Amino acid sequence: MRCLLLFVVGIVLQCVVGDFDNGFLCYPWGLILAVNYLYLLILLHSQRSKWRWVNSLSDHYASVSALGSMVIMTIIFGLTRQDASTEGLVGLLGFSRMTSSWPFNLLLFYFTTTVGLAVVDDLHHWRQRGLAAMMSHVAVFVVLTCGMFGSADKMRVTVNAHLERPTVEGVDATGVSHTLPFAITLKEFVMEEYPPKLYLLDTKMESSSEDFLSVDNAKAEGNIDGWHLAVERSLDMAGRMPDSEEWIEMVHTGATPAVYLKATNSATGESYSGWVSCGSHIFEPSYLRLGERYAIAMPRRDAKRYLSRVDVEQMSGERKRFDIEVNHPARIGAWRIYQVGYDTARGRWSSVSVLECVKDGWYSAIHIALWLMLSAGVVMFVTAGGRSFAKGGKSASAPKKCDSQQKKTTL
Amino acid sequence: MNWQHLIWFAAVAVVCWLSGAVLAFGSSKRWPATVVSLCGSGVFFAFIIGMWISLERPPMRTMGETRLWYTFFLSLAGVAVYARWRYKWILSFSTLMSIVFICINLFKPEIHNKSLMPALQSVWFVPHVIVYMFAYAMMGAVTLFALYLWLRRPSRRPSDEEMGMCDNLIRIGWAFLSLGMIMGALWAKEAWGDFWSWDPKETWAAATWLSYLLYLHLRPRLRNDHHTAFALIIFSFLLLQMCWYGINYLPSAQGASVHVY
Repeated sequence: MRCLLLFVVGIVLQCVVGDFDNGFLCYPWGLILAVNYLYLLILLHSQRSKWRWVNSLSDHYASVSALGSMVIMTIIFGLTRQDASTEGLVGLLGFSRMTSSWPFNLLLFYFTTTVGLAVVDDLHHWRQRGLAAMMSHVAVFVVLTCGMFGSADKMRVTVNAHLERPTVEGVDATGVSHTLPFAITLKEFVMEEYPPKLYLLDTKMESSSEDFLSVDNAKAEGNIDGWHLAVERSLDMAGRMPDSEEWIEMVHTGATPAVYLKATNSATGESYSGWVSCGSHIFEPSYLRLGERYAIAMPRRDAKRYLSRVDVEQMSGERKRFDIEVNHPARIGAWRIYQVGYDTARGRWSSVSVLECVKDGWYSAIHIALWLMLSAGVVMFVTAGGRSFAKGGKSASAPKKCDSQQKKTTL
Repeated sequence: MNWQHLIWFAAVAVVCWLSGAVLAFGSSKRWPATVVSLCGSGVFFAFIIGMWISLERPPMRTMGETRLWYTFFLSLAGVAVYARWRYKWILSFSTLMSIVFICINLFKPEIHNKSLMPALQSVWFVPHVIVYMFAYAMMGAVTLFALYLWLRRPSRRPSDEEMGMCDNLIRIGWAFLSLGMIMGALWAKEAWGDFWSWDPKETWAAATWLSYLLYLHLRPRLRNDHHTAFALIIFSFLLLQMCWYGINYLPSAQGASVHVY
């Protein structure tokens, strides 16, 4: 009933006020409110014997109803396209912008409050609690609290770093420019690529074969859809003159892989030879035509890894060099710099690296909570099997006392 | 090793699993069925390792590859449950499910590319997928068990021991769902700067996780209402299916997820 009421209030607020704006949670207000929220939870818990409604916030029904409402909201979330649309009923109710919608945020806040009261209760009766349940409650509460009160402090900007050109500006998702507290200079961009692949194109059906030949050695050969392909010559870095069909070895900006191959139709015996290359921003690609309908083509190579070597100079004048690649961000105080892209038209010859700078002052708290949750999962797995909710089980046999005691059976 | 070899390894594994399922009913001792079934899992795991070596990356990128792990862990989950609680029927169920997933892989492999994009080259990639697949397998096993208990003769109520097993399997499965989700969050922070971004896959993972959590919180009050318990198990498993592959067909998720496989 309480969740339904919150949902209705959320809908009304959504229709009247519009999206939930978390701007008021910017530092230090988010932190101040978070501390007060924690204090309020402890106060509520200490006074719950006096106020019935407070007691009902931490009972079994509250946790079940909060969980049930979150299940329903996440299902609606998943079924609704998140395209920020404001049209139609879905847009009006804010479901197409779920993280900014009042119903979702109110119910999430209610869920967090029930978990928070469970945490306070766990800590108050910690000797009677299951370790995994306690750890899970604490971890979930910290993650949700930091996520809510720290949401406005997060800053994410994209930086296009050009070779040897210091950059101090980043652009956020709305296109607004922000000045960073450091300057980034791209010193080098390095890319490793997978071997080139050859596909059979059906020009009539405008489709490509699922199978491919990976040219991972100079004499690679294989069969694709009835054609036997045999590579006779493979060049890792090649180019060609404007009026020539032949690719030659070339160490030059824009150099690209090229292979000379022979394709033989296994059924008819017809055979074709020629160069195939994916081309680059300088050289046009080459295809090998196999009669009227088919052709052999080489798409651009997949990136295996790419790395930006950057110098980061802080306001203090301190300068540090970082190698940034995907999954290995650089860390400067509360900021992290991520490798997100490059000039795909130039590929390995890109002179621009697309970096993302993310400031997250609540990182450490969430990180610790996630590791606690990870540990809770391990503890839960190890201790599973010892208890049962069924009649005759250890926890089921416990007498019905207060709600707080019954909660120890919930996880 | 390539996908053409799957049928041979799968055939040997299935023979072992079927033999284990028969031995579970025929033998008074626990170890013959356990050992024979484990041999089947070992043969299947050998194929996975062979693919890992030949692909030069963990076989976890494509839907077909995740089904390999699901099949493997489903068989292991069956053996573990049998060895721990001695439910004879579980080996038959896990074998049947494994055969279904092997058949899907044989007729619709959904594989091919050897490349592993940079974002997937993380220390979290392997544990994240393995832990999730194990969780899915556990939840698959408990769903089958719940269906069996629910659909058998209406006059026969599930025993406390049977319901206790459902609870335990869900507790283990939920623990692994949590581990997989947290590993994914830690990985996402390293790769993209956000622990959680409400990507469609993440949204459905959250719905699944919350739904099983709801079961765990509801169960103490549902001691006599096994219908609601079974319904919630099956509903949660449907959410899991949506999370695993359903979003590939969901209009609201088209082109919106970075979890492409």
